[in-house]
Amino acid sequence: MNKIIAMVRKELIDAARDKRSVMAGLYYAIGTPLIMCGLFMVLIGQLTSPDDLKITIKNPDKAPDLVRFLSNKGITQGAADGSDAKDLKAIELIISTDYAAQMNQGKSAEITIVADNSEEKLQNSIRRLEKQLQAYSAEMGSLRLIARGIDPRVVQPLKVNVQDKATTDSKGGMILGIAIFTMIYSVFISGMNLAIDTSAGERERNSLALLLSHPLTTRQLVLSKIIAVSLFALLGLVLILLVSKIAYAFVPWQELGFSVNITTEFMLLMLVVGIPVALMAACLQLFVSFMAKTFKEAQSYLTMVLFVPLALSMAASYNIAPDMLQWLPVSGQQQALMDFIKGKDLPMLQLLVSTLGTLAIAILLAFGMERSLRSEKVIFGL
Amino acid sequence: MIDSMTHRKLSNAAQRLGLTLPRHDATNATCATWRTRILSTRTLRMSALILAMASTATWASDVKSQETQAAADIANKTDTCYVEGVSDRLNCGFVTVPENPNKPDGKQIQVHYVVLPAVKNANHQEALLAIAGGPGQSAIENAAGFDAMLSKVRQQQDILLIDQRGTGRSNLLACDEGAQSPLSFDDNNVDTLAETQKCLTKIDADVTQYGSLNAIKDFEAVRAHLGYKKLHIYGISYGTRMAQLYMRLYPEHLATVTLDGIVPMQQSVLEIGSAIDRGFDLLFKDCQATAACNSQFPQLKADFERVDAKLATGPVMENVYDPVTGEKTMLTMTRGKFSGSIRMALYQANVRALLPHAIHQAAKNNFQPILGLYALTIDNAGMAMGMHASVVCGEDMHRITPTMREQAQHSFMGRTMLEGLEATCSVWKVPAVDDSFSEPINSNIPTLLLSGEIDPATPPSWGELAIEKLTNAKHFVAPYATHGVAYQSCANNLIADLVRSGSVNDLDGECLNKDVRRSFYLNASSVEPLNATSTKTTTTDDHTSTGAKE
Repeated sequence: MNKIIAMVRKELIDAARDKRSVMAGLYYAIGTPLIMCGLFMVLIGQLTSPDDLKITIKNPDKAPDLVRFLSNKGITQGAADGSDAKDLKAIELIISTDYAAQMNQGKSAEITIVADNSEEKLQNSIRRLEKQLQAYSAEMGSLRLIARGIDPRVVQPLKVNVQDKATTDSKGGMILGIAIFTMIYSVFISGMNLAIDTSAGERERNSLALLLSHPLTTRQLVLSKIIAVSLFALLGLVLILLVSKIAYAFVPWQELGFSVNITTEFMLLMLVVGIPVALMAACLQLFVSFMAKTFKEAQSYLTMVLFVPLALSMAASYNIAPDMLQWLPVSGQQQALMDFIKGKDLPMLQLLVSTLGTLAIAILLAFGMERSLRSEKVIFGL
Repeated sequence: MIDSMTHRKLSNAAQRLGLTLPRHDATNATCATWRTRILSTRTLRMSALILAMASTATWASDVKSQETQAAADIANKTDTCYVEGVSDRLNCGFVTVPENPNKPDGKQIQVHYVVLPAVKNANHQEALLAIAGGPGQSAIENAAGFDAMLSKVRQQQDILLIDQRGTGRSNLLACDEGAQSPLSFDDNNVDTLAETQKCLTKIDADVTQYGSLNAIKDFEAVRAHLGYKKLHIYGISYGTRMAQLYMRLYPEHLATVTLDGIVPMQQSVLEIGSAIDRGFDLLFKDCQATAACNSQFPQLKADFERVDAKLATGPVMENVYDPVTGEKTMLTMTRGKFSGSIRMALYQANVRALLPHAIHQAAKNNFQPILGLYALTIDNAGMAMGMHASVVCGEDMHRITPTMREQAQHSFMGRTMLEGLEATCSVWKVPAVDDSFSEPINSNIPTLLLSGEIDPATPPSWGELAIEKLTNAKHFVAPYATHGVAYQSCANNLIADLVRSGSVNDLDGECLNKDVRRSFYLNASSVEPLNATSTKTTTTDDHTSTGAKE
């Protein structure tokens, strides 16, 4: 046991010496939440319709009441001299020249919206304009009925009540899915450099053979390397959790109608769930690196191999996953975490199965490594 | 009774009837409806004390066994529920209080509340309490309207709605609807005394215990129960009286107060007669000042007076089609129904726009538009008339002076209301509150006061009375708003600013001056004159008296 601790210390000191390559892994943990939050802030600003929506209205003098109604709802005519061209949305509302005549005959008066519906930035504004026109139309319709002595309720035969089971937290589930994805990703990324360095790198520096000449079993060697890499992976996870907790609070999610809260309970659960994932990530990365002949080869293999767990996690976070995924390693944990955040009950069985699966893979890989390290081919990279 | 205090009842898009209330927050999907509980003189006469409650069937929450105040956490104390017009999951619950605070071991009643949870709760210690009008309206039944109007506040604060004792789910004091058809019924021949007595015997409650002072204790109990340290208050109409009482009795628990459509403590709501007459006059003036309206209805005031005089001699009987069922029926158009329909239409700017046409048609003996307006006032009970009487008889009746009585004689509405109420109160027998009740509120809590210039219930002058001894307050008058300024202008954004900053210093009422008038209907179909160039609806502004008065 003491030997393992000594070895872990040696690995960590080694890692600390090569600060730059190791920190590169941790930068991910610090940077990703910040970048994501920055992107979301910009996105929210673009998706929400501005308080004061400026559009072009043609023939406003034909329907002054409608124009005033819209302006009361914050939809106004852009300035004639183009001084506010920057805020002016590319939406045109054309009021028919026959508007007043059609209205007076009790017919439907014509208005036309000209806009590009495929432009995402405009969609909210277009919908808002349509909704307000609808409201104006419904209001006039009701008053026309009242003027004829009819209760407007008779033209509303259906009364649809909606009972939304979502909470303000679960409405942010998609965002949180992505957030959890970045966290799981950080487990894989943070330890990767160290994994390569301590296996393929050590071999290239010829210090691996030296290590093995000490009175150590291969198992002790493998275990200590796994522990060191896992510790780094978990360090990355802790960092990303802390940074996320702070950064996500600054994004005005409420403008989209939901909240994104990284609670302390969630952070603890994520850490606990993250431990087996970190172990598996460490084993996987070490195993692949040992299999590779050189440092560079290890790097390219790892990038490919890592795609598998990440694809699993990604599939779960976008909810495109078949149900089977909740039993698999990584994706199972991810789904359990998402359920937790949405306030549902934790799917204990699935979480247990996927965690055991994760551990089983880790142990298998560890055994594989132990065995392969008995071969001189692997030790000397022949 | 003081239907004047009625504020709008809104409901969601699904049940929208089409008449939208002016709202600013265009991002909110709900569409307000015309569901104002509009009391005709019929109700004023108490024969219609008699209002079936609107259904509260959407309550999903099963009221659990009696909860104790000692319960630990909000989450444990409340149930998830839904209310009409709001699709979100809400928290519902109740506190149990003695009906008579002086007999703590006597009859117990439940005071129900609903919390609309904040989207992103910035401060769990605070919430905004929205108080409904009436007196007699249920705050919970108006949840959709509050939710839409206060959506900005709700982004960061819980919204707390409490059904005041005697309203909604809190030991409702209402009576059954009479058997008579509201259309054929003649409100001149009502035995108010008998009707009221019948109602009283059916109510299982000590009606003397349903005044504002007991109710404010309930509110405070709910606050303590939910564990909020500070409340922001939004009171509308009669709700402003409750808000002011809160300021007087529990100032330490208030962060900010918004009074909208203000009933000052010094004012008896029974003086509403002159406010109503003022509302009618402003309508005639507005039409006169608007080129299109004036050219279409040059004799509007005379038209009204002609119909009014004719109905004063006796009701007009007419065969009509029922506005809802479409069946042939008899309409008895009385003076009270005529004036009452017009009066209630004045509450909403968009319905008000139909009035010149409706009055003009009535003058031409076509009561169809008035029938349409009247129909809006009969269905949908929103007021608990028993509770209404408990409040008004205890807090306003005794303040009637001989001069006020004299004045009321000049106004048809004022007189009818006073007569009806005197009869009601003689049955209700609620002891009068102390004189100290009517003293102005002396407070330095940041307070925003909102009045609508064309408000037919609580004119801006009432706001001036209320601000008298408020040292940290601003009073804004919205030139184009009726009753309930926050529902029809940018004032809801001002409330959000006030709640966020906790101070009235930076509030700027300039946005209230935005011209949001609705053009008058020129016929049964259109608001736009045919020769648009010559008769634009831009007119001389005869009421741009807005401005901050500190």
